[in-house]
Formats: sequence, C-alpha cells, structure tokens
Amino acid sequence: MKLSLNWISDYIDLPGDLELSKLAYDLTMSTVEVEGVHFLKDMFEGMVVGVVREIQKHPDADKLVVCMVDVGDEGDAGGGLKQIVCGGTNLSEGMKVAVAKPGSKVRWHGEGELVELKKTKVRGIESYGMICSSSEIGLFDLFPFEDEATIMDISEFDAAAGTPLAEALDLDDVILEIDNKSLTNRPDLWGHYGIAREISAIYDLPLKELSGAVPTKTDAVETGGQVPCSGEADFKIIIDDTERCPRYVGVNIDGLFVKPSPFWLQSRIWRVGMRPINAIVDVTNYVMLATGQPTHAFDSDIIKENIVVRRASDGEKLLLLNGAEMILTPEDLVIADGEGAVALAGVMGGAKDSILTATDKIILEIANFDALSVRRTTIRHEIRTESSTRFEKSIDPQRVDLAHALAMQLFAELYPDMLVTGFHDNYPKPLKGNTVEVSVDWLEKRLGKRIANEDLTSILKRLGFDVDFEKGGLSSNLTAGLMRVTVPSWRSTGDISIPDDIIEEVARIHGFENFEARPIETTFEGIINQPMIDIDRKIREYLAFRCGMNEVFTYPWVSEEYVNAVMPGNEGLLEISAPPSAEERFLRCSLLPGLCKATSDNLRYFTEFAIFESAQVFFDRDYSVLNDSREKLPLQRRNVAGAFVGGQEDAELLFRKAKGALESMSRFVHMEPFTFEQKEKPHWADDVVWLNIFTGGQGGQGAQGSQRMQSETENLSPCFKLGSVALLAKRVSLDCGIKNAAVVLFDIDIDSLKPFASRTNEFAHIPEYPMTDYDVSLIFDSSVKWEKIFEVATAKMGADSMLRAVSFVDEYKGKQIPDGKKSVTLRLAIGSLSKTLTSEEIENCANAIIKRLVKTLGAEAR
Amino acid sequence: MKERLDAILQDGQEKIKAAMTIAGLGDVKSGLLGKQGALSDILKEIPKLEVSLRGEVGRAANEIKSKFTEMIDARREEISIKASEISSDFDLTVPGIEPSGGALHPITQMCYDLNDAFRSMGFEIFEESDITSELYAFDNLNFPPDHPARESMDTYWIAGSEEKRGGERLCLRPHLTGASVRYLQTHKPPYRFVYPGRAYRNEATDAKHERAFFQYEALIVDRDFTFSSGKIMIKSVLSKVFGRDVPVRMRVGFFPFVEPGFEIDMGCLVCNGSGCSVCKRVGWIEIMPGGTPHPNVLKAAGLDPMEFTGFYVNIGLDRLTMMRYGIDDVRLFRSADLRFLRQFK
Repeated sequence: MKLSLNWISDYIDLPGDLELSKLAYDLTMSTVEVEGVHFLKDMFEGMVVGVVREIQKHPDADKLVVCMVDVGDEGDAGGGLKQIVCGGTNLSEGMKVAVAKPGSKVRWHGEGELVELKKTKVRGIESYGMICSSSEIGLFDLFPFEDEATIMDISEFDAAAGTPLAEALDLDDVILEIDNKSLTNRPDLWGHYGIAREISAIYDLPLKELSGAVPTKTDAVETGGQVPCSGEADFKIIIDDTERCPRYVGVNIDGLFVKPSPFWLQSRIWRVGMRPINAIVDVTNYVMLATGQPTHAFDSDIIKENIVVRRASDGEKLLLLNGAEMILTPEDLVIADGEGAVALAGVMGGAKDSILTATDKIILEIANFDALSVRRTTIRHEIRTESSTRFEKSIDPQRVDLAHALAMQLFAELYPDMLVTGFHDNYPKPLKGNTVEVSVDWLEKRLGKRIANEDLTSILKRLGFDVDFEKGGLSSNLTAGLMRVTVPSWRSTGDISIPDDIIEEVARIHGFENFEARPIETTFEGIINQPMIDIDRKIREYLAFRCGMNEVFTYPWVSEEYVNAVMPGNEGLLEISAPPSAEERFLRCSLLPGLCKATSDNLRYFTEFAIFESAQVFFDRDYSVLNDSREKLPLQRRNVAGAFVGGQEDAELLFRKAKGALESMSRFVHMEPFTFEQKEKPHWADDVVWLNIFTGGQGGQGAQGSQRMQSETENLSPCFKLGSVALLAKRVSLDCGIKNAAVVLFDIDIDSLKPFASRTNEFAHIPEYPMTDYDVSLIFDSSVKWEKIFEVATAKMGADSMLRAVSFVDEYKGKQIPDGKKSVTLRLAIGSLSKTLTSEEIENCANAIIKRLVKTLGAEAR
Repeated sequence: MKERLDAILQDGQEKIKAAMTIAGLGDVKSGLLGKQGALSDILKEIPKLEVSLRGEVGRAANEIKSKFTEMIDARREEISIKASEISSDFDLTVPGIEPSGGALHPITQMCYDLNDAFRSMGFEIFEESDITSELYAFDNLNFPPDHPARESMDTYWIAGSEEKRGGERLCLRPHLTGASVRYLQTHKPPYRFVYPGRAYRNEATDAKHERAFFQYEALIVDRDFTFSSGKIMIKSVLSKVFGRDVPVRMRVGFFPFVEPGFEIDMGCLVCNGSGCSVCKRVGWIEIMPGGTPHPNVLKAAGLDPMEFTGFYVNIGLDRLTMMRYGIDDVRLFRSADLRFLRQFK
C-alpha cells in the first residue's frame, strides 16, 4: 500500500525536524513495515514550467515546430528564453508547458526506460531539452490525451515560468510504500487516517478529527452543519443475510453530473496508485484511501425499486464493471435491485449500474461485509480489488460513519447544488466493542519493566483506547491494580481481545528497544541426552565424512515414473490432494525412487559418485494416536538411504563399498551392529547381488528384547527388516533412465536402530610378544563362500591356539585360475601370549589351518 | 712419505666433509679406500721401502685408513639424518591426495551449527513427523477457522482427508509450530527446545520460493521470560553461527500463534547495515518471525497462560543458508545436483 505523507499531514502536524528515515524506522518497528520511501519530486527533477512565447515552423520538418520558451532563467542571455524543437499539435503562444531541461529523465513516448536528455540538435536546429507530453513524464493518468502528439497543457496552474514542475503541480510529496503483509491483521490501517493515528501515538502528537457533515435521517431537519435530507427518494434497503452484511448505509444523492474531479483530488488518488476516473468515482476512492472503508456509487436511475443484500442464486449471472461475466453461487453475496444482481458485494460493481457519462443521481453505498464471505468470493472467482482487499481484513461497521461523513463533505464541496434525497442506515447488528482487563503487576512481569499508570493510559489513549483503573473491590473479580481497557471499534473485529494484546500495544508504542533483558534462571538438572535424535546426525556425518558420500535433499512427492520403476506398485502410498503436478501426487514410502532420480540426473555430469539422503517416509496404514485421541496419523518412519554409483564393470566393488559402509556404521555410530542375510529380495534388486539388513547381532532374528520395535519393522515392506543393500536391477536402472552405470543402493529404517547409551569400544592389552601376519592364498571352488572359509579357518581359534585372527585380503578370478575356481587370500594373525614364536611354530600353525581348509573345503594351494 | 701421508689424510678429511649425499660419500669412499685410491698406492709401495720404514708407514697408512672408515661412517650417519632421500626435483606443487570427498548438505550444516549453539545453552532437540493434522497445524495454534492458510491452495492436504476436519484432516505440515505443542504436551515445564524440520507449502516455485523448505524453531516456555531476553538469545545464536557480531532488531509483526508477535531482522552482513541490493537498501534482512506463544497455544498444551509465558522463533533455514553463502536460487537445495552440493565441504 502506498501512502502520501502530505495526505497524512492533513490529519497530524508532523514536527519539522522529524527525519523521514526516522519516521520510516519508527513505523516499521512499531506498526507496519515501510518498504520504501519515494520522493515524488524526483520524477520531475530538472523539469520546470515553461511559457511558450513564440512558435515557428521547423525549416526541415513538416511535423515539427521551433518554440521560444520562457523557462525563467533570468540571469541567462536571452532573458530566460530557450529554443526548443517540438512535435506537439496543440501548442499555442502563451501556453504553459512542462519543460524537461537537459539532464532530466523522460520516457520516450511514455514507453521503455527512462532516458537522460541532452542538449541536442533536432533536424539541424538546436533544442534545449523538450516540451513534454504527459506520458513522457509519467503523468498520463492526470493529463490524459488521445492524440500522441498532445503536449501537456498546464496553463491553468498558477505558477510562473521557471517554477519547478513538482512545486507548480503540488506534487512535492513523499510516498511511503508499506508491505501489505504487515497490515493483514490491522483493518484499521488500510487508509491514511489510520496510519496518521499510529504516528500520533508513536510521537504523542494530537490527531485531528476527520469530520464532515452527515445527513440527518428525518426530513429536512437542519442542525449544526448537517446535510438536509428531503426523503423524497423512495427506496428501501433490505438485508437478507445480516451475518454477511452487518450494516448498510445508502444515500440517495441528486444534482450530480459527471465531470473530472479537481486536480488536487485526482493527484492524491493518483500518487497512491489509483487512476482518476471522474469526480463521483474519485470521491468514493478518496474516501476509501482516507478511511479504509470502501464505498460504491450506483447510478440510481438504473436501480429498480429497493436495494437488496442477498445471497446469489445458483448460476445467477452478473456482468461486472470490468466486463467479466460472473456465474455466481449461493455462497456469493450480491447487491440486487428488483430485477437482479447489480454488484458483487464488497468486491466490484456491475456494468449495469456503473457511473456513466449521463449519470446525474446516485445511491452511495457505504456498507460493511463479512470478511470471510468476501474472501471466499474473491478466491472462488479469482478477482481481487482494493475494496475486497480491505473487507477481507474484517473492517468494523462503525467506520461507515466516518466514511459517510467524509463522502458527504466531499460531494458537497464538489457539487454545491447537490441534494440528499434519501438516506437509510440499516444496522441490524451493532458491533460490541471489546473490554479487556489487565493486571498491572502481570503486565510488569511480562514486559520486564514497570510502566507508570499515567504512561499506560497515555499510550493506550493515543491509540483510541479508553483506560480505567479500578480503585478497589467494586466487584469481587476486580482488585486494585487492575486496568480496564475499552477497545475502540476499529480494533474490535478480532484484533484486540485479550490481555496479551494489550502487552503488545503498550510495548510497541513504548518501543520494543526500550526494554532491557532480565537475567534468566537456569538449572543443572536434566542434562540433554537424546540418543535417538543424535543417531541420525551421527549416521549422516559418518556417511559424509567417513564414506565420502554427498548428502542430497529430494522432495517427498515422487514422480510416478520413478515409483513405478523402483517400487513393486503404488499401493499403500499416500497421495496429496492438490499435488505440485499430477505425476507427483504420491508421497514416498522409500527414499530410493528419489535417489534413483538424483542418480540419473547426476550421471549427466559425473561417472562416479556416492549420495545419501536422510528423511521421513510415509505409509497409508497403521494409523495411530500420537498425543491427542482426536487425531490419527499414518505410519511415518525416518529412513536413510544411499547410492554408490560407478561404471558397470565396478558393480562388485561398489557393492563391497556399500556393504563396508554399512558394516562399519555401527562402530562409528555406536549402536547395535548389523547382520546381513538373503531373506526377501527387494523389488528393485539385482537377482544375485542383494542382502537384507538386520540388527541385533542375530541375523534374521530381529532385535532382542523389544517386541514392539520388531513387529513395527516387520511391517515395513518393501523395506524388509531394517532395510536392504543391493545392486539396482538392470531393468529398474533402464526404467530410471540410468544407462552404462552400476548403482548399489541401500536403505535403513533409522527408527529401528538401537543406539548404545555410551561408547562401547573394548580395551585389550597390547600383545607382549610379537604377532605375525601370515598371508595364505588358496584356490577354492567359486561356490565356496568367504563366510564358510572364515568359519573353517577360525574353527579352532581360542586360548590354546596360536591363531589370533583371520581376515579377508582379496579374491581373484582370471588368468592362472581355472574356470569355476577362485583364489582367496586370507591373512592369519599368529602369535603367542606367553612367548616369541619361532618361524617353525608359525609355519606349523598356518599349515594346520591350510590343511583344514584343504580337507574341509577342497582348497588347493597356489 | 710422511708428507704424502699427511696430504692424503688432509685431502681425505676435506673430501669426506664435503660429501653431501650418500652417493657422493660412496664415491669419496671408493676414491680414498678403493683399489685405485691414494692410500692403496702407498700400501702398494710399502714393499719397495726400506725395511725399517715399512712398519711405520704401514701403521700410519692403516691408521689413516681406519680413520677414514670411521669418518665416512660418521659422515654417512650425518647425511642420512639430515638429508632427504627424495630426489630434489620432487614436485611440491602437485596437489595432495584429497581425503574422502563427501559432505553434508549446506542446510544440514546450518542446522547443526544452530543445534550446537542452542544445545550449548541447554536446549533439547525435538523431531516430529512430516505429516500432521489440521488439529495441530492450525486449530491448536489459534488460526481462525477461516484462515487462508487452511485452504488447499496453501497447504498440501492428504488425498481422502481433505474434506474432513481437525484431527482427521491430514497434511504435510505447513510449519513446525504445531508440533511444538506436541512437545509441550509430552514434556514438563520449563521447556527449552529447538525443532528443526521440513515444512511444505503449496505455492509456485521460483528462485525465492520453494514448496518444501526447512524451518528451525526454538521455543522457551517458562514462568518468567520477557521478549527482551529472547532478543539476546537470537543475537547470541546468530553471532555464533556467522562468526561475528550480528545486530538484531525485533519489530512488530503478526502471527496467529504469538502475542506479542515480532518480525526479527538481522543487520545485513553484506553491507553491514549501510544498505545494499541484498537488503533492499534498508540495512536489515527479515529472517524470522518470533514472539511470545499465544495464550491459546499454551492452553492447547495444557498450560495456564497467566502463569507461563515464553519466547518462540522460527528461522527459515533455506533463507539463512542462502545468506550465508550468497546463494541466489533456493531451488538448488533440493536439486540433488552434485555440482552445487560439492561446493560445501
């Protein structure tokens, strides 16, 4: 919303030394956000009033003339006369024009960017700046023209040659730009008067009355300054739906005619962003911009019989002022006459009743409409106006009086011969002002500061509240130290109703920055210990910092294409009712489709990478009560999933990387370790390379102890058990647009993990006697699993053996190894706790193990 | 003869000292002690000497020989301790080997920085599910029944529940504040916790708007707490996160679930408050709403609003992270684009 500082100054005398930046800051801190401060005169920098003294034809151009224009530069040679070439068709000698001097900025033909003028020659003739058309200096709305070559004629303005244009047109104003968002809860601030009231409160300055003459209800009773009402116009106002229209004032005014409004009025409306139309319409807009109360003028010749405020009938049609044809519903409120709807209440007038050139009498509507009804209508029909924007904020019906008075004053001023021929004020449900009682001690406690009663009174009175301090037990509920605050009507429509609202009023006017912080008490109980929260961070940090993976975020709604590719189907998925797009209506029950999409996207730029995401997944089942029995929420689980991506030839390596990341995770994260087993192949997995992940150290048996946790995790199909790690099946890869790359994915249900209460590394003494690593390479049948080799190798490991550990070194197939065979290298850690072994003893130990492997598993030495 | 021996000794000592590398010392050694060496020559000449001199010269030559051996060994040790064994054209400008190249998402990094700051002040971390109900997202928070945010154009309602009401009307949470009430309901006062999480709003996306975004809520509920303390809390946290003093101001703002409510601005870190394009020339950047929890919110949590008060802020993590790095398009955060994410180690 734009505000004119000159306009505000009608209602309040701003101190001369008040800097604009301070005003903007203080308003921002205490009331509304001032987004910008614009000096209107900057638009007219370097522009002055010129008087055309002489006009001659341009020697080389038919459509141009050469003018001698007095621009008031008296010191100059030539007595202030400047030669300017001009293409205007309406120029005459003695005409006052706007001259843009060199250095000023204009918009050629009112289009494009601002251009700085330079002294130049036009067709060989020197020209000092230009004589402007209104569109070239942004004033088209105030000086409209039909012919492009019309020069802006300002002869009627009382200003000498050389007067700066802004001064001559009285456009030396400051425009404050207010962020509308910061006004949403303050219906009282949608006009200049409301803002003036705030400034008066902030600076403790008197606020002037916005007074005017109000017509009296009865016939021709003339009392102090009232406009007499003849009562001859015969119409009634019938409000069918008083919920949606709590008040309707209709004034029948005769003796009007359509003419432009005076320049000052046009200019005020224009500078805050509205276009002047004609005096009748301009008055209604002016009233709205001053008071925040929208008004509407109907041509009363068009209105048949009475004014009826009613719900539209289903399918009722209404052609609006802007030419749009509405098809209404019973949820829309309309203003109707005997024949049908004439206006969409609080939103826009109809084409039929609008002010036309022949209009000579009107019915002025000053009404109050229900905020929700207006908003629903604007949403339903996608139409928003200055009027609806204000009604949506919940305007108080009391304000009708203020607007009414101002409107009558303006009409009387613009049309001295006007007559009020009818007046009805239908106000079936008068607004009840709120009263709030606040304990002064409580206020002090909440503010952290005592504010004297007189100061509280002063602050609140400036805002229009009435304040009363109870002196003692008048009633059992009221004790000394209680402040009774009566809320003004304009703050009583939802804005102020409880003591906490009063805190804000006092604090913001006193100045939020004028309160000091008080020390806070603290305790040392209840140290923060949140292992289930910390586990997610530990996992992310582990994957990022230890496993070299990049964390990604994807959306919870998954493109159907990826759901179909990765998941067995879309059953059991939750859907969004109005999704970002039709393909993105499903909410994820697994992070994998999103990761596949991220993989596919990144493969355009990278060939090898590893990514992971930690986020929630959702299921349309197992609804349960969380805190409140009225609420049932679906199953939602925290998951973490990752993808290791590389060349197709690296599939096995990638799988081992992923498995390694998972195997070590429990140690780094300090939780119960994982075990791996093939139990149920995930839909998306390769036929061979897949494992399910279990926790609790008893592969496939689930966690010990917690029955609840186990049954929950078992529900998590297709994320079997904790999750899975597998190579992405070729078919799924292709469906996801992944070509020429191997992807190994894993996913884990974080909520099923069991963090240890503390770190659990175990300490063992450093061996006193040497330990020898002894590598053995043996050839096995390809079908022999490492698990088995390990089992056999460690079968007799124990206190009486010299073997301390067995580990995997590598596996090799290829040259020198017969088909169907593989070479496995294992490392034996051999040593004694009581002596240094001889090399013979070491050999013996190793040989015993090799022998066992040969005998049990058919191994051959290489 | 003696002169020759002295000269050999002299010369040998100098050469040994002069040797700077193990290889060089090897050359010196073979020069001095080898078969072609000066000392060998002398030894070879001994038989030709007078018998009476032979013993003496032999002894002297052997003394020198053992002296050389000793010196060479000493020098070898000296060299091998001092000198590099690496060729001198080793290219020191070749980049080192990068450790594993992973990283957390920049928003996660911001979130953890805030977590650390708040935890250091005794705040718990709270997490809740993304899907909630109208009861928690709006009703408990003092949103009037007709509030525009309840419309489907603003909130992602779950299909099949959109026509229901309250606890049965489900949505992707439009903000975190609703679940803060869950925390209050399930814990005991006084409360001090932060609540990071995803929130969702149905709106058109562009460089500044996202449908899915990260919020970070901090809430204190206690018997005696004023908004001025809240301001100091915000200032401390932001100053820690940004590593410098950050000016903070709280100005009037309206949010249904707080009273009084604030818009909280931080001084623009780009221009230090003097005004630039980032802060729209005002020197301040709006970063979060805040305020005292509305009495109706406290009531929803089962607390007496005359006894309890508090302070609440809700930080837009996307925005704060954008400011931290000068990121100009919010959509990058959910692009999963490694060209973007790999910049934030």
